[in-house]
Amino acid sequence: MATQAHSLSYAGCNFLRQRLVLSTLSGRPVKIRKIRARDDNPGLRDFEASFIRLLDKITNGSRIEINQTGTTLYYQPGLLYGGSVEHDCSVLRGIGYYLESLLCLAPFMKHPLKIVLRGVTNDQVDPSVDVLKATALPLLKQFGIDGESFELKIVRRGMPPGGGGEVVFSCPVRKVLKPIQLTDPGKIKRIRGMAYSVRVSPQMANRIVDSARSILNKFLPDIYIYTDHMKGVNSGKSPGFGLSLVAETTSGTFLSAELASNPQGQGAAVLPEDLGRNCARLLLEEIYRGGCVDSTNQSLALLLMTLGQQDVSKVLLGPLSPYTIEFLRHLKSFFQIMFKIETKPCGEELKGGDKVLMTCVGIGFSNLSKTLK
Amino acid sequence: MEAKDQKKHRKKNSGPKAAKKKKRHLQDLQLGDEEDARKRNPKAFAVQSAVRMARSFHRTQDLKTKKHHIPVVDRTPLEPPPIVVVVMGPPKVGKSTLIQCLIRNFTRQKLTEIRGPVTIVSGKKRRLTIIECGCDINMMIDLAKVADLVLMLIDASFGFEMETFEFLNICQVHGFPKIMGVLTHLDSFKHNKQLKKTKKRLKHRFWTEVYPGAKLFYLSGMVHGEYQNQEIHNLGRFITVMKFRPLTWQTSHPYILADRMEDLTNPEDIRTNIKCDRKVSLYGYLRGAHLKNKSQIHMPGVGDFAVSDISFLPDPCALPEQQKKRCLNEKEKLVYAPLSGVGGVLYDKDAVYVDLGGSHGFQDEVGPTHELVQSLISTHSTIDAKMASSRVTLFSDSKPLGSEDIDNQGLMMPKEEKQMDLKTGRMRRKAIFGDEDEPGDSDDEEDDEVSEDDGLENGSSDEEAEEEENAEMTDQYMAIKGVKRRKLEDDDDLERSSAEEGEAEEADESSEEEDCTAGEKGISGSKAAGEGSKAGLSPANCQSDRVNLEKSLLMKKAVFASEDESEESSSLSAEEEDSENEEAIRKKLSKPSQVSSGQKLGPRNLIDETSDIENLLKEEEDYKEENNDSKETSGALKWKEDLSRKAAEAFLRQQQAAPNLRKLIYGTVTEDNEEEDGDTREELGGLFRVNQPDRECKHKADSLDCSRFLVEAPHDWDLEEVMNSIRDCFVTGKWEDDKDAAKVLAEDEELYGDFEDLETGDVHKGKSGPNTQNEDIEKEVKEEIDPDEEESAKKKHLDKKRKLKEMFDAEYDEGESTYFDDLKGEMQKQAQLNRAEFEDQDDEARVQYEGFRPGMYVRVEIENVPCEFVQNFDPHYPIILGGLGNSEGNVGYVQMRLKKHRWYKKILKSRDPIIFSVGWRRFQTIPLYYIEDHNGRQRLLKYTPQHMHSGAAFWGPITPQGTGFLAIQSVSGIMPDFRIAATGVVLDLDKSIKIVKKLKLTGFPYKIFKNTSFIKGMFNSALEVAKFEGAVIRTVSGIRGQIKKALRAPEGAFRASFEDKLLMSDIVFMRTWYPVSIPAFYNPVTSLLKAVGEKDTWSGMRTTGQLRLAHGVRLKANKDSLYKPILRQKKHFNSLHIPKALQKALPFKNKPKTQAKAGKVPKDRRRPAVIREPHERKILALLDALSTVHSQKMKKAKEQRHLHNKEHFRAKQKEEEEKLKRQKDLRKKLFQIQGQKERRNQKSSLKGAEGQLQ
Repeated sequence: MATQAHSLSYAGCNFLRQRLVLSTLSGRPVKIRKIRARDDNPGLRDFEASFIRLLDKITNGSRIEINQTGTTLYYQPGLLYGGSVEHDCSVLRGIGYYLESLLCLAPFMKHPLKIVLRGVTNDQVDPSVDVLKATALPLLKQFGIDGESFELKIVRRGMPPGGGGEVVFSCPVRKVLKPIQLTDPGKIKRIRGMAYSVRVSPQMANRIVDSARSILNKFLPDIYIYTDHMKGVNSGKSPGFGLSLVAETTSGTFLSAELASNPQGQGAAVLPEDLGRNCARLLLEEIYRGGCVDSTNQSLALLLMTLGQQDVSKVLLGPLSPYTIEFLRHLKSFFQIMFKIETKPCGEELKGGDKVLMTCVGIGFSNLSKTLK
Repeated sequence: MEAKDQKKHRKKNSGPKAAKKKKRHLQDLQLGDEEDARKRNPKAFAVQSAVRMARSFHRTQDLKTKKHHIPVVDRTPLEPPPIVVVVMGPPKVGKSTLIQCLIRNFTRQKLTEIRGPVTIVSGKKRRLTIIECGCDINMMIDLAKVADLVLMLIDASFGFEMETFEFLNICQVHGFPKIMGVLTHLDSFKHNKQLKKTKKRLKHRFWTEVYPGAKLFYLSGMVHGEYQNQEIHNLGRFITVMKFRPLTWQTSHPYILADRMEDLTNPEDIRTNIKCDRKVSLYGYLRGAHLKNKSQIHMPGVGDFAVSDISFLPDPCALPEQQKKRCLNEKEKLVYAPLSGVGGVLYDKDAVYVDLGGSHGFQDEVGPTHELVQSLISTHSTIDAKMASSRVTLFSDSKPLGSEDIDNQGLMMPKEEKQMDLKTGRMRRKAIFGDEDEPGDSDDEEDDEVSEDDGLENGSSDEEAEEEENAEMTDQYMAIKGVKRRKLEDDDDLERSSAEEGEAEEADESSEEEDCTAGEKGISGSKAAGEGSKAGLSPANCQSDRVNLEKSLLMKKAVFASEDESEESSSLSAEEEDSENEEAIRKKLSKPSQVSSGQKLGPRNLIDETSDIENLLKEEEDYKEENNDSKETSGALKWKEDLSRKAAEAFLRQQQAAPNLRKLIYGTVTEDNEEEDGDTREELGGLFRVNQPDRECKHKADSLDCSRFLVEAPHDWDLEEVMNSIRDCFVTGKWEDDKDAAKVLAEDEELYGDFEDLETGDVHKGKSGPNTQNEDIEKEVKEEIDPDEEESAKKKHLDKKRKLKEMFDAEYDEGESTYFDDLKGEMQKQAQLNRAEFEDQDDEARVQYEGFRPGMYVRVEIENVPCEFVQNFDPHYPIILGGLGNSEGNVGYVQMRLKKHRWYKKILKSRDPIIFSVGWRRFQTIPLYYIEDHNGRQRLLKYTPQHMHSGAAFWGPITPQGTGFLAIQSVSGIMPDFRIAATGVVLDLDKSIKIVKKLKLTGFPYKIFKNTSFIKGMFNSALEVAKFEGAVIRTVSGIRGQIKKALRAPEGAFRASFEDKLLMSDIVFMRTWYPVSIPAFYNPVTSLLKAVGEKDTWSGMRTTGQLRLAHGVRLKANKDSLYKPILRQKKHFNSLHIPKALQKALPFKNKPKTQAKAGKVPKDRRRPAVIREPHERKILALLDALSTVHSQKMKKAKEQRHLHNKEHFRAKQKEEEEKLKRQKDLRKKLFQIQGQKERRNQKSSLKGAEGQLQ
């Protein structure tokens, strides 16, 4: 019997997605204990259970053991299978919560993944589907994951708390990834955005656009913010509106920011003008942080660099987010990989804050699921 | 000698040189330009036929494309590991002799007994690891996987042997390394012709196996038991210049061919339980890919393990450093073979001996005086130089202390051993510093730090000194390990005494290091006066230490932040620290100027530059305090107040941030450490536990899992200065010089502005830039800036040149660049980047980032190794540590394409255990063979097809797709035939599998309507029927139908409809597919664990056939299946019976004839027999005689008459003929006359007619 790679064990439910995703990719079992053990409502939440169910759907031969209270989870990964899958995501979290992990796993399936996700497309916590579509997909393309079938389509929008959105994500399969050298972020040449509104007056979107432009126009003339007002079945179950902004640079990197209105019945009503202005400011913050990858996708970029061939990959990032820092630690424990981290201070140039140059040598990962014909 | 007349110079008549000369000669005679036929006779080369032209073009393109391989990134390290040369051949063919000769050829040294791999330096840039491969198939398989070059020895007097072919096939499966044949025993041929023929025959057979034109080397004969020097020399040359193609498996997996093994198990554990699992360390060059610590490895023949620790050592068989000369120095011709006892260390069961070695044995201790001088030089370098080099130490100091530190020291072990062999020729090395462990631990730690600093610093300045320092470090390492090791050596008094002597010395030295007083130095100096290298080292160390003490203070200053943190971390639990660090980084990065109270930062920097030591010391303390204060007092919005100071802080941050960030991320333990704190909680009454309020970290562990990076303190984007901070991020902002369109244009103007119109003769001048004008003015005004200006001018000129060259390159290359070229260029760029990225870092840091790189000599510690591995260790068998990729240690179902080897005599049976060699592993498993039908169904096969590929699936370790494999029935003993049963390639890996076998269910109709029938006997219950409703069924006679619905009456019966009416005698059947499960049986071949001498006797699970044979259990045969002699019974037909009515109707001809046949003559009518009297008999006899005579007479007469008649007939015929002749003559005459008459008549009539005409 081949010795099973010894399992890693963690405590707490934070970074659950990272751990399960890395476990699936590295083939090492993982044990997570004390999940909200001290909480009044202990154990896994619905959205986490839904995530685990999703993992079960796209893999073959995974073993998942959860104790009765749901405070301990043992996950022994199988092989990524893919194919056509449908999944009803929990409305407690946005689809972005699930999609982020799927973006990490999708290129390494046996069959190309074509998944329909239903739930909340835009909320205030997770990166929305619009942002992921605008930033993560071009990022994956840098690694050689490309093709006709590589797309993310928003069929219906759903806002919290009701949900009712639908997204179709399809991704081709790759055996190996290309190394990347993203050290020059370039200069921002255009800003695009999407102001959406569902089950509210279509005028909301226009108001958002105007206010956002008022701030951004000070920097750049090339700004276009689309308005997207969905009606009928396509508008989900709850009202809401929001804005996502994406800045594209000359060297093809994308920085994003987004804001969504408060869910119905929670918090005070938000004025669309405020929302637009705040979102624009958030984008400026993101630009201030800078880097070749925006702050939500840092971990995705680092993961794909790790899973490359045994070549040097480099990427320039803004300040590392706490999520990314933990992700780096996880990468080390799952793949024994360390990144060379160099701080690039902001000098005299007026280019925002300090940057971090991350360098690593890929581990020579190859897709073990893909069938050879 | 000199008198001997020298060979005269002979002029070259052929070859490139001669051709060149000839050409020149022709040119001199003004004939040179005619040599180009294309020019001379252009018509001969003109296009004759467009079609043919197209075809030939197509063909050349085809050929060109065929040559292309998919370009791969060249990942060979700058200093590659030694090349593995496997010397293979059947027994008694001369393998050992060849290895000995090769080693002697390269190193001028003679090894008598060769055990395990031997590493030698064979050239300026090449080292070889030579290893012998016997004909145990385990060894053959393992070595084929690691070989770079195979020397395949063939006994020419005998011809090819099975092992050779087996090995070739193994090689083909596992990636085909370079193969070179070597023919030996060529002196046994008496006749030259026979020799030639044999050579040719063998060569061509070899070519068909390897590739046409493969090199086959001939070793013509032996001289004094060795091969001829010249031939060995040539062979060595071939090996040294050989080029290798990268093999997929080898380049994608790290592996080590271990050349040394040590048992590190606690002797006490062994004493209590001799069969306890061992901890071993294995040494060897790392090859293939990067190896990371704690990764999974597989040892073929032993099993899977996790690397518990790995460290790199100085190269024991290093390549020469400077390469000025053409050939190697005698000193540089190293040989390293610890298993054979060469290269300093000899392996024994319970200890390691150090051998004096041969002539080169002393070369590491080139002389203590030399090192002393070196170290003195190094310590006398200026403080400034030290300051410059202190950067390097900054990194090493800031990295976490702990186990790694010990490793660092462990690295230098071999050096240490070599030094010791000076003192006593041969001693155990572990007892030396036994008692030194007692002095306080804290001191030790400090010492470590200091010495480490030393080592690293000197390393940057001088290599020699580094070695020396390393030795120092190992001393301390030995001290730590001393106690444990001493146990090994308690029994040996003699060695112990010498060891104690050493201890005394070392104690002195250590005290020196601590106190660094001159007196003690003197003591040690006197003590060690005659000793050698050690003694020489100590004073130098002392001095360097003194300097280092000061320096270390400096360095502490530089890295104070990290140290602060480490101190904190020691007091706090790991997770707490984690959270704190995180906060810290958040502060530092998002609000960069939070270290607000550092008002003295500006001046501090100035002081830095002055590098006044004392001041710095003060400053350091100050700053520490400041730093602490800052953390407490800094307000959230304070940073806004002094934006202007940002620049001042930038420098500091640059110094700190990188190591800090690194430490922040990787410096802490990330894994769950909560086992302890659960126990430490107080208990109340032994039942309840006090539930302490959760600390911050607890919250973090359960907090929201979100990838978004929220902005904690947003900038006020309405302020102008805040807005300005990101101005340049937009295309509307300022561009870099090299990208700014306006500037680039201006430069181009400068470059290409000047040109001369050749037609008109006008000279256009570009606008001379404003700076050039300025320059002119400035030149006049200021003379002192001149050098600066000159430089800039030079630079400009160079830039100009470079740009022009770039332009030219782009223009020139444009025409020929293809997709392939682009791809290749990309790969090359990547390779360059790979090499350059970590080049400037020291190995310690580098190893952390990229893992241990191939070419390093590493020491790998492995735990939980079965004791048999150590107990039955046989150096002749290769020990390979093969690195496994991610999830390659897992098991699952593996599907492969398999083909039975055409030389294997039997076919393979499904579910018969068989041994596979896939990846690094050899294991026994139970495969199922299958074939894929057109619809993708995988149908089970009982046996492999004879000459066709089939699929095979087994449960076993996951190996990447595309990996080749081979199968053998058994690895034990020597089997008479070709052993490799099958070969193939891995296609797919999965956790489930769907192989089906055919299943026919039969039933019988019990009631038949028109097209509907009731069928019974196919199923057992209505439920089963329900599952198969609608399924297609068929009768044997071919009538198709469908299952309709279950019936109630007999259980399992159903109604079915058919396309025609059935018969009661029909059998109905349904074809179905039944999934087969694969037995989860995976049994690694643990051949290395077998006793010495029995390593080729491993046997695993036996096949059912073998078991039956062993136990004498015969298969119970089905009687019906037995063959019996065929007995054919005679067929009896009944008589034809025609009904009476029919008879009546028939015509008479066809009516049966009922008339009775003539019956027998009745007795009364029969004539009685005549019995004659003697008298009558006499008469009868006489009458007989007379009649005979008479008949004879008559016969004669008849003959006579016949003759007479013949005569008569002939006479008559003659007469007749004559008569006829006469008549004929007569008739002739008559006709003649008649004819004349007629002619006459005719003539006259013609005349008459003519007359009439006239």
